[in-house]
Amino acid sequence: MAKFRYPTGVRPLLIEETARRRRIESRFVDVLERAGFAEIVLPIIDYAEPYTLLQARDTSKQSYRFVDREGEVVAIRSDFTPMVARSLAPAITKADLPLRVYYRGDVIRCDASRLGANREMFQIGAEIVGDPSIEADIAILRLASDLVREFGLQPNVVYSDVAVALPELRPVLATKRMNGDVPAALRGIAEKLVAGSAAVDDIAPFAPEAAARLSAIAAALPEFELHLDDFEDAGAYYTGIRFRIYDAASRTKLAQGGRYDRLYETFGAPAAAVGFTFTIDDLFEERRQLAGRTADSLPAGWEPADLPAGSRRYAEGE
Amino acid sequence: MNELRIAVPKGRLQDEALGVFVSAGYAIPSESDLQTRKLVFARDGVEWIFVKDADVPVYVEHGAADAGIAGLDQILEHECTAYQPVEFSFGRCRMMLIAARGAPPLTKIATKYPRITRQYLDARQLRAEIVPLAGSVELAAVLELTSHVIDVVETGETVRVHQLEIQDLVAEISPRLIVAKNSYRMDGKRIRELIARVERRVELRSTESPGFRHGAAVPYGLGVTKE
Repeated sequence: MAKFRYPTGVRPLLIEETARRRRIESRFVDVLERAGFAEIVLPIIDYAEPYTLLQARDTSKQSYRFVDREGEVVAIRSDFTPMVARSLAPAITKADLPLRVYYRGDVIRCDASRLGANREMFQIGAEIVGDPSIEADIAILRLASDLVREFGLQPNVVYSDVAVALPELRPVLATKRMNGDVPAALRGIAEKLVAGSAAVDDIAPFAPEAAARLSAIAAALPEFELHLDDFEDAGAYYTGIRFRIYDAASRTKLAQGGRYDRLYETFGAPAAAVGFTFTIDDLFEERRQLAGRTADSLPAGWEPADLPAGSRRYAEGE
Repeated sequence: MNELRIAVPKGRLQDEALGVFVSAGYAIPSESDLQTRKLVFARDGVEWIFVKDADVPVYVEHGAADAGIAGLDQILEHECTAYQPVEFSFGRCRMMLIAARGAPPLTKIATKYPRITRQYLDARQLRAEIVPLAGSVELAAVLELTSHVIDVVETGETVRVHQLEIQDLVAEISPRLIVAKNSYRMDGKRIRELIARVERRVELRSTESPGFRHGAAVPYGLGVTKE
């Protein structure tokens, strides 16, 4: 029965796909090395225990875990960022900082929801360690969008800062709907955030540092979109700016990243860090098209007769 | 620019869902359009797709539709992470733990919602086997296939007719406007306009019918028993 199948979400890349993957990889590597980043290689499995406090419960549930021969619980790599911190923290000294590193490889996430399958994803990421400055945020955002342009795609960059979401506002921002639990003092700002009318000045009283950083970034990178309402629970280790990069044409998410200034500290070396990760599958796999378009939604100049027989029957209202 | 694509749930919520968009000023497919077997209709810059209610969260989560209307039961069951900017007053119901009168202690639960049931059991620290069914779930309790069932209750008529007993409230269910995260971030202006138009319509309706309060829980007067 299993002769032809693979476990859900994994598949081999055959000759052409592998060649394409390697070409993409080497273009990434060229850009990163030119920008002064050096590569590190991380193991495919690691103990689960050092990461348990860092990850949201859902994230740790997404990794494949098992007991190794010594009786320790190990997990297959599901998120590079904490692994990079754990590997570098014991080795870096103040003199090494700031450090620019990149990494590449597969992660495997077992998506708990019925809406996604288990997936093996090839990722390439980079980070600047030991530089808490706004300039580092800007450099990372610029580098990530340059990488997108390198492939002839138009990047659409949206960013926010996790500090904008005060704990009381998180449920509201996560659903984008006001509810009765918002304290009276925060209702005004919550309503503005949800309606999308909040400006940096509005959040300054609540999150002054985040507001100052966001203003500086907005001034340096006016072509990127600041989304003050943005908030996602996933990625519990972020402490500052968060961003996502989409392909403007297909609206596919290509990369995400942000600032995590406490992550290295948990592994024994206080160092600020900001970085991003590209998932290569997302970037280069062809976008699936909606099948069976009907006469009502035919491209201009098309007739139902142009459609395959099955769609034509729908288009003709049978 | 792409058309805005909105997923409408077929079945129980369809008429009310279409009503929402009509009173929000959108041109929707006509009744005779809907009687054809077409599933996709373009009207005034919006592409309307008609899918099974359980599938709305799937289309929206994956970005195949920009927005849609879905019940909280389907949103929770699919662990859909789309934004839920508007909650509606129509089509509200409750998800309940139900048993036959004089049923044995909780050992097996039949349900259309295995994920929600799992979470319910975990939250209550209860142990029971889950038996997934596709429909007519009450029958499982009537025929003693399982000791209990978890299902949505609208009027309670099915429960009364089969002489079943409601034992616990699992969740208050209401339909919501859901919006794909990527669309919200990349097409913010149009999506926010959609939300604002739908919201205005909801506010209008709630002042017309004072019986409904946004987010208010209606006391059901149930004898709740749990271990």
